[in-house]
Amino acid sequence: MEEILSALIGGLSLGGIYAMIALGYTMVYGIAKMLNFAHGDIIMVGGYTIYVVMATGSPLLAIAAAVVVCVALGVVVEKLAYKPLRGASPLAVLITAIGVSYLLQSLAQIVFGSAPKMVTVYQFGTVTFLGATVQVSALVTLAVAAAVMAGLTLFIKYTRVGRAMLAVSEDRGAAQLMGIDVNGIITLTFAIGSALAALAGLFYLLKAPTVSGTMGAMPGIKAFTAAVIGGIGSIPGAMLGGIALGLVESVSYSFAPIAPYTDAIEFSLLIVILLVRPTGFLGRKRREKV
Amino acid sequence: MKRNKIVAVLLCLAMGLGMLAGCAGDSYTADNTEFVIGVSGPLTGDEAIYGQAVKNAAELAVEEINAAGGLNGVKFKLVVTDDMNDPTKVSTNYSSMLEGGMQISLGTVTTSPGLEFKNLSADDNVFFLTPSASGDAIPSGPNGYQMCFADGNQGKVAAAFVNENLAGTTIGVFYKSDEAYSKGVYDQFKANLDPSIEVVETSFTDANATDFSAQINTLKDCSFIFMPIYYSPASLFMTQAKDLLSPTAVYYGCDGFDGIDSIPGFDISQIPQAVTMLSHFNSKAEDGPAKTFIDKYVDKYGRDTLNQFGASAYDCVYAIYGAMKKAVDEGTEIPVTISASDLCDILKAQFDGGYTMTDAVTGASISWDEQGYVNKSAIQYVIKEAG
Amino acid sequence: MKRPGSKLKHHLHFALIGGITAVLGVLTLTGARFDSSLLFLLEKIAISIILAVSLSLVVGFLGELSLGHAGFMCVGAYLGGKVSALLVPLLGNGPAAFLVSLAAGAGAAAVCGIGIGIPALRLRGDYLAIVTLAFGEIVKSLFQNSSPESFGGALGLDTPRYDKRYLFLFAFLLVLLTVMVVQNLIRSKHGRAITAIRDNEIAALSCGINVTKYKLLAFTLSAAFAGVAGVLYSYSNYTVQSLRFGYNYSIEILVMVVLGGMGSIPGAILSATLITFLDTQLAAILTGDLAVLQNLLYAAILIAIVIYNNAPALKGFRDKYNLAALAKKLRRSAPDPAAVRDDAAKWDVVPTKIDMDELLSVDIADRGHQEGGDDP
Repeated sequence: MEEILSALIGGLSLGGIYAMIALGYTMVYGIAKMLNFAHGDIIMVGGYTIYVVMATGSPLLAIAAAVVVCVALGVVVEKLAYKPLRGASPLAVLITAIGVSYLLQSLAQIVFGSAPKMVTVYQFGTVTFLGATVQVSALVTLAVAAAVMAGLTLFIKYTRVGRAMLAVSEDRGAAQLMGIDVNGIITLTFAIGSALAALAGLFYLLKAPTVSGTMGAMPGIKAFTAAVIGGIGSIPGAMLGGIALGLVESVSYSFAPIAPYTDAIEFSLLIVILLVRPTGFLGRKRREKV
Repeated sequence: MKRNKIVAVLLCLAMGLGMLAGCAGDSYTADNTEFVIGVSGPLTGDEAIYGQAVKNAAELAVEEINAAGGLNGVKFKLVVTDDMNDPTKVSTNYSSMLEGGMQISLGTVTTSPGLEFKNLSADDNVFFLTPSASGDAIPSGPNGYQMCFADGNQGKVAAAFVNENLAGTTIGVFYKSDEAYSKGVYDQFKANLDPSIEVVETSFTDANATDFSAQINTLKDCSFIFMPIYYSPASLFMTQAKDLLSPTAVYYGCDGFDGIDSIPGFDISQIPQAVTMLSHFNSKAEDGPAKTFIDKYVDKYGRDTLNQFGASAYDCVYAIYGAMKKAVDEGTEIPVTISASDLCDILKAQFDGGYTMTDAVTGASISWDEQGYVNKSAIQYVIKEAG
Repeated sequence: MKRPGSKLKHHLHFALIGGITAVLGVLTLTGARFDSSLLFLLEKIAISIILAVSLSLVVGFLGELSLGHAGFMCVGAYLGGKVSALLVPLLGNGPAAFLVSLAAGAGAAAVCGIGIGIPALRLRGDYLAIVTLAFGEIVKSLFQNSSPESFGGALGLDTPRYDKRYLFLFAFLLVLLTVMVVQNLIRSKHGRAITAIRDNEIAALSCGINVTKYKLLAFTLSAAFAGVAGVLYSYSNYTVQSLRFGYNYSIEILVMVVLGGMGSIPGAILSATLITFLDTQLAAILTGDLAVLQNLLYAAILIAIVIYNNAPALKGFRDKYNLAALAKKLRRSAPDPAAVRDDAAKWDVVPTKIDMDELLSVDIADRGHQEGGDDP
């Protein structure tokens, strides 16, 4: 019982991290209509920023620096690599994103070397909860993830800019005719997504205190899977998909016979869900116009 | 649009014909002025630290041998190629080294590419003594030898230790299911374990190599955990598990653990549990040839890449040098332009004929059996006591 | 349509590959020996070309994004490798065992193609991309965790290697087969149906084209040839290790197709050749500390080429400075108007869906630009 409980709590906090990354994917997809393959590598840049700034000894400064650097990087990448391709084929944008991903990874190896670096941001202890030992950092992750999602939902629903984002994702052309600054909205989306990636990087470091050039690649793919499971373009869907994937992963790793097949199980889940609901849990069907 | 493609295809043809100019010669070593030792290892990518260690230490040994006059005045030269731990890069690396005059090889640094290398080199009869590709199948050819313990042997020795000291108890096992090294040790460990011992096991894969909360949860009641994995995931596991496992638990690792106490940012004294490893080299050695090697290595390359891979590579170069010297002393002629195949026959005769290396960095007495596996004693190092 | 020379143009790349193969074949059979490094390079180039041309069928002509091509190759490599490992002791390491393994590997990959194609092709664009990516990862994971007796598990499957003096000849014969099948398919009425689906699925549907059938046809054929490449891979290596077949490899193949120009078979062949050549030769030049630069250069070149080729804002620049314009300037001849109207003769440069998108969206982007200019 306790084992299942701690697997569930571990899964929820992992799911919270996936959800934060998935939000970045889903918002960029919804608004810019592109797969930002380099999103996972923004997490890596956040991780290295924390590693560098932690030399000052201040976790808060490190977190702030990571958010600032990631937002700046997200905006710069958008302006230099993706904006020139606005209106080009989705495939061209996808390939560019893959190029950016490779570029960031190899830059990290050149600057920081190939050996992974250990970094301890903050030491949380453990608490006993209904007989199960639980990491406090997992609970913090969960709480922050929930707060971020609630804040983001309110922001989109009730602020002028948030509604403008919704409008752009609904119909870019019409939104432009209504006087919405589409380019500004897209830049803002990248900024928000990158800030979330920096936070995800932080919580990843609390869970696994190591940074390396490829640390963002697999969480990125998994979070993208989560975004698709939840219905890409949908913000509650990203949260739902992230949590679901985190739980599956955590529970699967707890059972020795199926543990080696965890990746296969997660990706099979994706395929099964897309077969039953081709648009994911909460995605909306788009009618194609002639 | 059509025309430029035709131009392009023509260029392609020209390139293809240009390459044809290089037809196979009879001997690639005819112009050698030094004995050429080749090795393929990961110089970039996630495993780069192992390749760098082998490159540095082998260079160190070659420089020392050359400074001391080489083999009767003939010097040695080391060629290192990057395989990124990818088996598909090996054929290119191997053929370019061979065509560049390679006469002897240290094989590959890691096991995956080594499985290609052993066959390619067997086809051409090229001698190799690998410092660290520990797969059981690596020395299966007549031309291949290992300086490190084979994975299966490590698993057997570890199982014997557990059978002797922990009969009737429950132990934990934590391994990496998609890695040849970890899986190789694990399989033989399980196969040789006493049935009275109950095993709680869990694993991880490359895709999930940093977050171990689920695995820690599975192992949380174990007081002895066997971990046949490399030190960087091991250090992560320990950091994440330090409050969740019993403070008196013991982590028991193999040679992959070496270097765990010198990772930047990881303070092993913060871990309450005990850490022990079974290895042929201790990077914290205080005396003997190991200490001499560590001092020379750290002086030249720093502590970052000091590990058992390098120590083993250093011994490999000296083992090859020693065997060649012994053959020369016994009256065999080894000209500098000797072909790789002829030199392989000479070295095979030495290694199969009871050639023994003494007072080396990774063992007081090292010899090889018929199959090419190494004979030396494994030492159990206590890296850190509990508490 | 019957213009003299047009036939030769379409078959030029075909004739070149055939010519090179024939020359090398004659040289080999008359006893010439080549360096191993050249033979290995040729084997790798052949595998890359087969992969790029077959993926081009799905991405370039059908217009669907697949990120699981390495997964199909993996199936072919393991199944073909297993069959050859079982057959070689019985039949000897000759053409007979090779052909049987080839059939087994291609067949297994084709079956997987149908299996994943039927459900996946209901999905559009990016959804299909993630499903094929997931398929590749699942295949990799299953082979990785197989038992040592079945497919070797983490240590990989030991497979027989074909005599290196002859393998590249078989490899290039398979390249010719691949190019011939794909090219003939594209130029047939089935091919026109496939490109019609790419250009506008709804319009194709309303013309009575069986969209599902043609999508599945293209997808399965592409998977089968990826399987062929896999068998070839198993024959050119002593072991098949599944870690090689991750999504990164699928992306590498996709990059070959995109850089060669979407929907161009000679382009795919050329870029597969160049990328494989550079990949092996750069590694030999950039060793040690410089090795990290290889990936950096690769990424930077990739981004630059894609932006140059696709950015709507650079359209004028592209039209003015490109190879075709340069060639035209050298020839100083006006384009033949008949050539433009002759769609069948221009099968590989039919305006793609991407071009249509580009045209439409340039319109929007330009409008946005003007608005931005008016608004202080």
